Amino acid sequence: MRNVILLTIDTLRRDVLGCYGGGFTTFLDSIQNHCIQFNQAYSTAPYTQAAFTGILASSYYLEHGKQKMLSWEKVLISEVLEKAGFTTAGFHSNPYISTYLGWNRGWDIFYDSMEDEVNEKTPYIKAKEINRKVDTWLSSHVRAETYKPFFLWVHYMDLHEPYIPDREYIDIVDPTLQMTEEEMFRLFKEVLLKRDVSDRGIVGVLRKLYSAHVLEVDDALKDFFGILEKWNVLKESCVILTTDHGEEFGEHGGLSHDGKMYSELVHVPLIIYEPTREQREMCNVLVSTIDIPPTIVYLFGLRQVNHLQGHSLLPLSDYPVRGVFGEAMDKQGSHENGEEKEIHYYRERDFKIIYRERDDSWELYNLKVDPKEMNNIIEGSPQTEVMKQKVRPRVRRYQK
Amino acid sequence: MRIRRNRGAMGREISEKRKRQCAKLLEISKDIVGQAFDRFKNEELGITWTGGKDSSLTLWIIRQVCQEKGIPIPKTMIIDEGDEFEEIGEFVKRIKGSWNVPLEVCRNEDVLKAAHYTLNTSVKVKDLSERNQAELKRIGFDREEFPFEAESYVGNHLMKTVVFDEFLERNKIKGVFQGLRWDEHPTRFNDEYFEHREAAYLVPEHTRIRPILHLTEKDLWDTYAAFKIPYCRLYERGYRSLGAKTTSQISVQGVPAWEQDLENTEERAGRRQDKEKAMERMRKLGYM
Repeated sequence: MRNVILLTIDTLRRDVLGCYGGGFTTFLDSIQNHCIQFNQAYSTAPYTQAAFTGILASSYYLEHGKQKMLSWEKVLISEVLEKAGFTTAGFHSNPYISTYLGWNRGWDIFYDSMEDEVNEKTPYIKAKEINRKVDTWLSSHVRAETYKPFFLWVHYMDLHEPYIPDREYIDIVDPTLQMTEEEMFRLFKEVLLKRDVSDRGIVGVLRKLYSAHVLEVDDALKDFFGILEKWNVLKESCVILTTDHGEEFGEHGGLSHDGKMYSELVHVPLIIYEPTREQREMCNVLVSTIDIPPTIVYLFGLRQVNHLQGHSLLPLSDYPVRGVFGEAMDKQGSHENGEEKEIHYYRERDFKIIYRERDDSWELYNLKVDPKEMNNIIEGSPQTEVMKQKVRPRVRRYQK
Repeated sequence: MRIRRNRGAMGREISEKRKRQCAKLLEISKDIVGQAFDRFKNEELGITWTGGKDSSLTLWIIRQVCQEKGIPIPKTMIIDEGDEFEEIGEFVKRIKGSWNVPLEVCRNEDVLKAAHYTLNTSVKVKDLSERNQAELKRIGFDREEFPFEAESYVGNHLMKTVVFDEFLERNKIKGVFQGLRWDEHPTRFNDEYFEHREAAYLVPEHTRIRPILHLTEKDLWDTYAAFKIPYCRLYERGYRSLGAKTTSQISVQGVPAWEQDLENTEERAGRRQDKEKAMERMRKLGYM
C-alpha cells in the first residue's frame, strides 16, 4: 500500500459505533465492507498521554520512568518512517501529545494547534477544521513532483468533554432534550468535573450529549474520506481507525476517563480500512494498540523494527495468541491532592486482572460471564495465581 | 561590543583536567567536520549560524579545521527574521570580520515586505509569492491571513525553514553544518551526526551535519572558557537560549548563563511559550 493513515478519535467508546452494536454512525457503518474489524482490541491505558505511547511508540507508559515528557528512549513511529524516507504529517489538538511534551519527533509536518485561540466551551480545534488543514496539506503534497508515500496521523478531539454538541445532532439523539449551551457547560462544571454520579437521570443526559458528539464525528469522518477521495489518495491508502481510550458514564462509580482499567475505558474499537477489500472481516483475537506501529511498518513493506513491542496485526493469520497488558498512573492526584500511584491490568482469554498500587489490591473478572466487571472473583478463583504472576513482574515494587 | 580576549573568558579558571576533557570532546567534533570535508567538496558545504552559543561554537570548530587544512570556511548563512537583538547583530558583524566568514544574510523578503517589516502586522496570504503560498499549503495552513511573528507555527516555517531550504537550493549545497546538541532539547535525542534528508516537495536533498551533538550545555560553556572563544554578551546578562528578540527571555536576571543551574532547569524555558499554552489547554479540558 502506498500510504498509511492513522485516524484516532479521542475518548471514543466502542459501544457507540454502529458496527460494534451501537446505532448511530451511518458513515462509518457504510464502509464496513472494506474493513477488518477487531472485536477484542485493548488500549494500553485509560487516558491520552499514557495510551499514545502504545499507539505511536509501541511501548508502555511506565517503561522508562514516570515523567510527563515523552521519554527519549521511546521511539515514535514517525521517527522510524521519517528515517526510512517517507513523508510524515500529524494534525491534532490535544495538549498531552503536543510539541511541549516531546511528541513532535519525526514529523515533517506537525500541527498541534497549541498556538491557536480556543474558548472554554470548545477547548480544542474541531475535527472539521483539522480536516481542512489536511485538505490543504494534501493539495500541496499530491501535486508535488517528488510525491513520496506518506504516513498521515489525524486525531479528533470532538468527543472530549465538555459535551456541548450542535443542536442538529442533539435532535437526532433526543429531540425532547432542550438545553442551552450554558446549561450544558454547567453540567460539565458541576457534574462531570466533580465526578458526581448520584443522579442517574443527569448521567443519562451526559451520555446523550456525548452520543450527539459521536454523530458529529461520524460526519467529520465522512468529510475526511471525501477529502481523500478528492485528492485521489483513498484508493492507495490504508486507514487505521481507533481511539486512545473510552469514557465512563457511571459504570464503576465515575465519569470521564480517570485512571481505571475497566472495559468502558480500555476495550476499544479498532478498524482497518483497506480500499481493495470487498468483504468485511471480523477478528476476534485479543490484540492491543501497541500492535499499531508494527502494522504500519508492515503496510509500508519495511523490515520490522526491534524496539516495537507489539506484533503486526497483518497478515491476520500470522498474529499470535497472547494476552494484553495495560499500565498507567491512577491519576487521583490530578483531581484531588495526593500522589499518583500505578495501576495495571492484564487480560488473557476470558480473564482480566487489575492491580492497584494505591491500596495494593487485586481484582479478577471472568468477562465471559461478567462482561461489565461487577463481580470480583480474586478470592478463590483457580486463575488468581496464574494471572497475578503475569502482572507482578511489571509492577515496579516487585522489580527488585 | 566587546569580545573578551587574552584573559580567561568569562573571568573563569578552568582546571587543566577539565580543559583536557573539553579538548577531547572537541576532537570528536573536529573528526566529524573532517569527515564532512572528505565526503563533500568545499563548495557543496554550508554552515547555518545564528550568533547563538551553539552555532558560534560549531563555526569556531569548523574554522579550526579549515585553518589546519588551509582551506576557506564554507559558505555560511544567517537568517534575518526581522526580530533580532542588536547585540547579536554586533557580535556577528565583528566575528564575520575577524574570522573572515563568507556570510550570506538570508531572509524571506516577500513575507517581510507583506508585513511592512513590522512585527504583529497582519499578513494577507494572497499578497505573498506563489512559493510562499505553496509553503503555507504544505503545512496545512488554510486561513487568509496571519500575524507576522518569527516563532509562531507559520512564522517559523516561512522565516526559517523556507529560507534554509532556499539557501541550500540556491547554492547547490549538499551538506550543511548545524549547531544542535542532544541535551538541548529531549526531542533531539535521536538525532545523528550525519543525517541524510531525501528530496521532498520544496525541499532539496541534503545531509545535516552536527559536530557538537555530544556536548552538554556545561561542556559548551567550559569549552568557551577553556579556549577563550568569543560569544555574544547577552549570555552574561542571564539569557541561556537566544531566539527572536521578542520571544526570548532572561532566565535568571544578571546571572551569566554558565553560572545558572544548568542541569536542573530547562535551557529553552526562556524561549518556550508552548508550556503555558499547553497547560492552559489541559485546564480547559478539565484536567489538573
